[in-house]
Amino acid sequence: MVTSIGTGREEFWKALLAGRCGFKRVKSFDTSRYSVHIGGEIDDFEPCKYVLHRHSSAIGRSSQLAITAARLALEDGSLRVADTNRDRFGVCVGTTSGEPHFIERFNDRYVSNEISKIGREFLDGYPCHVVAGNVAAELGLAGEAMMIPTACAAGNYAIAHACDLLRAGKSDFMLAGGADSFSRITYTGFARLGAIAPEVCQPFDRDRKGMIPGEGAAMLLLELQERAVARGARIYCEIAGYGLTCDAHHMTAAHPEGKGAARAMRMALQASNIAAEQVDYISAHGTGTPTNDRLETIAVKRAFGDLAYKIPISSIKSMLGHTMGAASAIQAAVCALAISEKKIPPTMHLVNPDPECDLDYVPNVARTCNVKVAMNNAYAFGGNNSSLILTQSHNGPSN
Amino acid sequence: MKRRVAITGMGVISSLGDSSQALHAAFCEQRVGFGRIVEYDSHGMESRWGGEISAFQPESYLRGRLFRSLDRTGRLVAAAATLALANSGWSQEALKSREVGLVLGTMFSSMHTIGQFDRHALMEGPSSASPLDFANTVINSAAGQTAIWHKLSGINSTIASGATSGLMALGYAADLISYGSQTAILAGGADEFCFESFCGLERAGLLRLKDATEECCVPFAASRTGFALTEASALLMLEEWDSAIERGASILGEIRGHANASNPLYHNPTHGPDAIVRAMRGALDAAGLFPSQVCCVSASANGSPVADRNEALALGAVFNSHGSATPITAIKSMAGETLGASGIVQAIDLLETFRTGQLPGIFGLKDSDPCLPALNFCQQTQNIHARSGLINSVGFDGHACSLLICAPDIEPEVRPAN
Repeated sequence: MVTSIGTGREEFWKALLAGRCGFKRVKSFDTSRYSVHIGGEIDDFEPCKYVLHRHSSAIGRSSQLAITAARLALEDGSLRVADTNRDRFGVCVGTTSGEPHFIERFNDRYVSNEISKIGREFLDGYPCHVVAGNVAAELGLAGEAMMIPTACAAGNYAIAHACDLLRAGKSDFMLAGGADSFSRITYTGFARLGAIAPEVCQPFDRDRKGMIPGEGAAMLLLELQERAVARGARIYCEIAGYGLTCDAHHMTAAHPEGKGAARAMRMALQASNIAAEQVDYISAHGTGTPTNDRLETIAVKRAFGDLAYKIPISSIKSMLGHTMGAASAIQAAVCALAISEKKIPPTMHLVNPDPECDLDYVPNVARTCNVKVAMNNAYAFGGNNSSLILTQSHNGPSN
Repeated sequence: MKRRVAITGMGVISSLGDSSQALHAAFCEQRVGFGRIVEYDSHGMESRWGGEISAFQPESYLRGRLFRSLDRTGRLVAAAATLALANSGWSQEALKSREVGLVLGTMFSSMHTIGQFDRHALMEGPSSASPLDFANTVINSAAGQTAIWHKLSGINSTIASGATSGLMALGYAADLISYGSQTAILAGGADEFCFESFCGLERAGLLRLKDATEECCVPFAASRTGFALTEASALLMLEEWDSAIERGASILGEIRGHANASNPLYHNPTHGPDAIVRAMRGALDAAGLFPSQVCCVSASANGSPVADRNEALALGAVFNSHGSATPITAIKSMAGETLGASGIVQAIDLLETFRTGQLPGIFGLKDSDPCLPALNFCQQTQNIHARSGLINSVGFDGHACSLLICAPDIEPEVRPAN
């Protein structure tokens, strides 16, 4: 993964357990006309280290982030793309905005009456599917290259689809995850909704003031267990199942009773053949907005009943901000690491408990815990609800 | 293990009609659904063919509630959903007791809304950007808004793979039914015609030139130089076979198999047909059919020099000895290129071919490009007893998707196991 608190599994995991935060003053555009100025940009990102075949100047930042995460995943999974596997090696990426910088540049020219200067770079760079296409082109993958732009839950959708392809025998290997780059359009929108916190993101805290837009990418290397065992791969965990539902209620607001979200959680448990009692950790959507965290708490209680009070829940957005379509993919990687490393990352900046958010949010300090089953929750504009279940593998490092 | 997927309804909004029958009749009668574009002349565009659905009136389809919060793509999709739900016999009552999902394929989706939102903030300051528009700046806004409008509480997903998005969305939805727990999904695609997409495609050199002669967006013709950009929205109701029969639905066809592939070397201008070949063979394998058992092909060809050539080469390779026999139609000389909707418009036309026994001719194709393999291009609308058909969708950037549909009276597993 590539994040504002670290690139690569080891660096990221260490920073996450230590509670490091990626919030700084926004640098990529001028925020002087905004009432907020903080964001979760990745300062030290060097695409040239990872983008070797595509021209990094010709492709967008989301593609660069996705390629970097994909290369790191291949390296971590000790797998090479070769003529023997490329036709059945696919990629599936979730995103909110795709490559927003290209439409921003288009608009800069449009408002300056310079439409004649718009060239083919706009079509080559902008449509969101180019992110998956650029990963495939960079790595030489010739299987399906698909983009699932289901906004802030997109990473979970991409991982779910990749699992379906593998189970149906349509692919042998899949790189699946999410990517989004820091964008003026996204920042403007959330600022207009009054949803951005001025200084810090503090999910589930009584005084939480909002979310903080961020950026990043995470890719998981997925394959059927038999194949992984046969090639001697290191197995972090299994993906047992998923649940995807729609509130059909409101574009930007969650259902007031958390019905759709609870339905997705129950559907994921059922699809995974896992009982609610077995869940050891929930990676929360936890954006830090007053409404989300309250409704998410209601939804978890709706799905788990009294068990909700016993399950540790944490939000890594307290450190990374909201990385949009990448968020649930990064969370899925966190769930995998929680299972393999037996640690749960904290929810940072949780100082004053909120009576309406009364569950165990693992405040401020990472926790040691034998996580056998993790649930990864993410929600999105459009009323999309997603839950993914990850479980300890019988062939994994813990056994 | 694999469950059968029935098609039980169709909904389409296009410049050639808002019903499957009207659309198919227009193709069979060789009518063209686009004209000259004049409104962008001042922006120095070199292309002038295509346009929006001028007759589209959302209030005809979206009755009873305000639709102001939906942008054009959202309205096109919600309208097609109204038609598809009605066509498949899903009542509002039935929607309350059973979950229906929505899977939408789109290339650009809300790009025009995104552009306007940002330009407004640039010119008037960020505090004057519209929160209402912001909700529509996410790429899944059309799918989300349509789910809200029609109360579709099942899975809601958006698929993007460029011009192949619609057909890939159909395959994705079919798999959710075949291998998963879903039983009813509206699946299809849409893209609106807008300045941003027209400008982008024109600057990439993909559109038919304004001074081109009539033949110039004819698929597989030697004189082809590019395509005409239009717009459409098209959805199919997919249902798990047994549950469709149980509710008494009339089954229009069956999705028998599909496959997707990509060409990682697409940016090399000499890239070949490999991905299209793999997609077609994959779809045939998944469907359990030999090429000789395919009654007709609906090609993706739209008048693009490279994409049409690659598709013809791929058809030649896959159908080899049958290539000269299997009739191939290509409807984009009449429909124009509707991007995310295109594969679904092809599917709807093919389902109508099963019903009417007419395969539309490739409008304008007199002599096919001599550089292409000899194939049975359907030059005139012809009578055909078609019970199966292969649909191709070929992207501008290496994506390929093929999907095989059969008439409902064809039993599965016709190909002997080898």
